[in-house]
Amino acid sequence: MPQTDIDPHKPIKVDKKTKKKKSDAKVGYLLVAPALLLILAISIWPVIQSFYFSLFDLRLNDPTKSSIHLDYQLDMDRYLQNYPFLIGAIDSEISKGNAADELGEIKTTLEELDGRIQEKPKAAENYDLINEKLDNFENIPEELKYVEIEKGVAEEFTTSVKDINSELKSINSAGELDQGDKIVGLASSLNDIVVEPNFIGFEHYKDNFSDTRMWKALWNTGVFTFISVLAELILGLAIALLINKAFIGRGLIRASILIPWAVPTAVAALMWKFLYDGQNGIVAKLFADVGLVEKMTVLLTTDTGAMFSVIFADVWKTTPYMALLILAGLQTIPSSLYEAASIDGANKWKQFLTVTLPLLKTSILVALLFRTLDAFRVFDLIYVLTGGGPANSTETISILAYKVMFSQTNFGEGSALSVIVFLCVAIISAIFIKLLGSELIKDGSGK
Amino acid sequence: MNKKAGPLFYVFLAVFVFVVMFPFLWMLASSIKPLSELFGEKAFSPFTSNPTLQNYVSVFVEYPFMRYLWNSFVVAGVTTVYTVLVASFAAYAIARLNFRGKPIILGVVLSVSMFPQIATISPIYIFLKNLGLTNSYLGLIIPYTTITLPLSIWILVTFFRKIPFDLEEAARIDGASLWQTYWKVIMPLAVPGIFTTAILVFIAAWNEFLFALTINTADKFKTVPVGIALFQGQFTIPWGEISAATVVVTIPLVIMVLIFQRRIVSGLTSGSVKE
Repeated sequence: MPQTDIDPHKPIKVDKKTKKKKSDAKVGYLLVAPALLLILAISIWPVIQSFYFSLFDLRLNDPTKSSIHLDYQLDMDRYLQNYPFLIGAIDSEISKGNAADELGEIKTTLEELDGRIQEKPKAAENYDLINEKLDNFENIPEELKYVEIEKGVAEEFTTSVKDINSELKSINSAGELDQGDKIVGLASSLNDIVVEPNFIGFEHYKDNFSDTRMWKALWNTGVFTFISVLAELILGLAIALLINKAFIGRGLIRASILIPWAVPTAVAALMWKFLYDGQNGIVAKLFADVGLVEKMTVLLTTDTGAMFSVIFADVWKTTPYMALLILAGLQTIPSSLYEAASIDGANKWKQFLTVTLPLLKTSILVALLFRTLDAFRVFDLIYVLTGGGPANSTETISILAYKVMFSQTNFGEGSALSVIVFLCVAIISAIFIKLLGSELIKDGSGK
Repeated sequence: MNKKAGPLFYVFLAVFVFVVMFPFLWMLASSIKPLSELFGEKAFSPFTSNPTLQNYVSVFVEYPFMRYLWNSFVVAGVTTVYTVLVASFAAYAIARLNFRGKPIILGVVLSVSMFPQIATISPIYIFLKNLGLTNSYLGLIIPYTTITLPLSIWILVTFFRKIPFDLEEAARIDGASLWQTYWKVIMPLAVPGIFTTAILVFIAAWNEFLFALTINTADKFKTVPVGIALFQGQFTIPWGEISAATVVVTIPLVIMVLIFQRRIVSGLTSGSVKE
């Protein structure tokens, strides 16, 4: 931990005060360290890694792409299941005198390549290990299978194998070989043995930015965030203003306000799914009866109906929270200000505009900041309530990223999407923090 | 401002409470209906003439719901204890000690609390998978730190700042070490704040969905929110059981909220309101 209190070029004057300060700082850093390290390891590092992953073609269901590698690799398992047999088959053809010259040349090329592969000690080691295991009919563990090779070797291998394949094919079609088909088969298996590095740079971002589904998801997220947060702000402000007075049963109100907030979002979403149900949902029926929707089924089966449904459920769940935050802000406004305003002849509306709103600005902005970010990363509510449907009409960017990662197991592309979410969230926070100034993290210790 | 409440105000309150609580009341009413009354005309009637507890029995017998509850309890409990402990050290230092870089540290904490979970999930998932920690309690406790640690530091800093500084100085003048001051003077005064933080952290961990959904996929390690959400089968949704399960998880919450409402509100609003 840094000790920056002392300037080495100045004579050190240690009086009691600075000594205390110094030890304070030491202990301070020591106490903060565990929390900061955890945050670094479990929050910040993963975000950086997400960005790194997004530069790779990373697919968990494809063994050649299931991890990130910047180097060329050789599928040793597959190589050793084909190479020795190919050489064996060629040898037997040569001994029978079939196309001996051409085959001899091919054999030399193959053996040369084999030698170059074994140049690397690590490769040679795995080579023997895998051979042994193959002889005993054992499974080859993943970590042995892939061996790094030089880029040059890899490229040479690929082109040579390609040439050999076409040569063997032409020899075979001339009908000179006894086991021609077997040899061609073995040789062609050598084709996909080199695993190319799966670094692809900004390809995923390019793909995403030209993908209408991504833009649709971003738009849906924006619509959801904007409408629900706006509705929550207006309703929350109204409720806070109404209940900011002395009355019997405050506790009951506070409790009933907190319950929607406290219930797990996934459970709330399921509840609303039941209430919105096109056949048996009571809320769907009420909405249809009052003419808010044409038919009960409109709510969950049409684009706008589904978007309305998720926004309504979100407003129900989080307006109370908004009201609480604003109410707390309201209660810090001294009533003398209102008295003064009313003596000056300001009516209720004028008081609201000139006293309440300006003094509530910080509370409202903070509440808006937290709610906007929360709404922007919405996942559980929509995942459970509509699953992003119908026809992706409620699919938000987080849902899309989740689907790409865990349904298509395309972690590279999914990471790119999650980086996009991260950047959006960063931009939104920056705007709010600019509006708020430094009030959020002001050192309020009063010292 | 009019500080007196008239009768009209109480009517408004009653309507408000009813609207907010309506979904729960409806779930409660549905949970005791027999299967046949969950569909058709009777689905819209709030009362049933044949109340039954069949749905409740079924939730515990046909689904490993008890297991889900236990899993959630363990994960949320351990997360709460360990994050609040780590956070209390950091928050104490930030609120009461003098050292450089405090605004930066608080800034980092605040920004991390704004991180979208989806942005951390792919590396965390791959990391846990490689360590064989998917489908384990630790597999959720570790990633939950991203959510709960910044939250608890943020709330605790506000609480620690409210404790009068004179007490501490008096203790130090009396020769108490920093450690003694922390445990004997500050801690007892901070207990309410720490308790409040623990409630909020527990609720956050209990309700978490995305990590729980992706990391613990085996029934044995599912938490309540994921367990209930995945009650819905491919073709049918067992609404009776879902209503019953909803009631089962909501009732303890309602009780908790009724008991701790003051604390929860003070925790939620701390840090967002300047005093």
